[in-house]
Amino acid sequence: MNGWTATATAVLALGGGATVWGVATGPLGRRVVAQNLSTSLACPVLLLLAQGYGRPSYVDLALVLALLGPVGTLVFARLLAEDLEGDPPGARAATYAVAVFGATVVIVLCAVAGPGRAMVKLLVTGALLVAGNLVASRALAGGFSGSRHG
Amino acid sequence: MDDPLIVVALLLVAACATAAVAVRDPERQALVLAVLGTALAVLFTVLQAPDVGLSQLAVGSALTPLLLMLSVRKVRRRERGKGRTR
Repeated sequence: MNGWTATATAVLALGGGATVWGVATGPLGRRVVAQNLSTSLACPVLLLLAQGYGRPSYVDLALVLALLGPVGTLVFARLLAEDLEGDPPGARAATYAVAVFGATVVIVLCAVAGPGRAMVKLLVTGALLVAGNLVASRALAGGFSGSRHG
Repeated sequence: MDDPLIVVALLLVAACATAAVAVRDPERQALVLAVLGTALAVLFTVLQAPDVGLSQLAVGSALTPLLLMLSVRKVRRRERGKGRTR
């Protein structure tokens, strides 16, 4: 057990517990936000695990999650649009906190990896993660109301 | 070797699966199921099976919720249509 996996354990215990609690209780809006945050929290955890186990190929998992997590949230945002219209969910503080955490993890891992192909892959993953997180949160909050019923 | 990490991942999956059973509304169940898919992928990675985790991510985080939500929607629409014709 090294520092990377210890950090991953702490994040998984705190953030994972919080998102499971958020997705299992409360109003529908809170549940959707918790589902969105769970994917954008699991992605940095997978990156940390890849570094902790010393296996760069595990970064593929984080890349796929950064790609598919926002897609899943957009599915919910589209199909639950009528139910979410009453109180559009907005968790700006939590969303930005998770985005900053993901960006921090990517930057630290980039500094460790040094320039090269691995760094490019990490940067692509981080960009997808942060952009997908922000786009999905905006869609949940009704930011794209013009295309809602399209 | 990494016992605390495995314990945390297992506990997360157990809590999530229990929540998926305890929640009654199908739409909310689909949400919990999406989180369960992500937690399972992390568990598989911790257990050094990233190939299984990769397929679990593809199926669990986007495909299963999409299928569930689409079928719930179709059933609701059919019920509504029936109510109108009666």
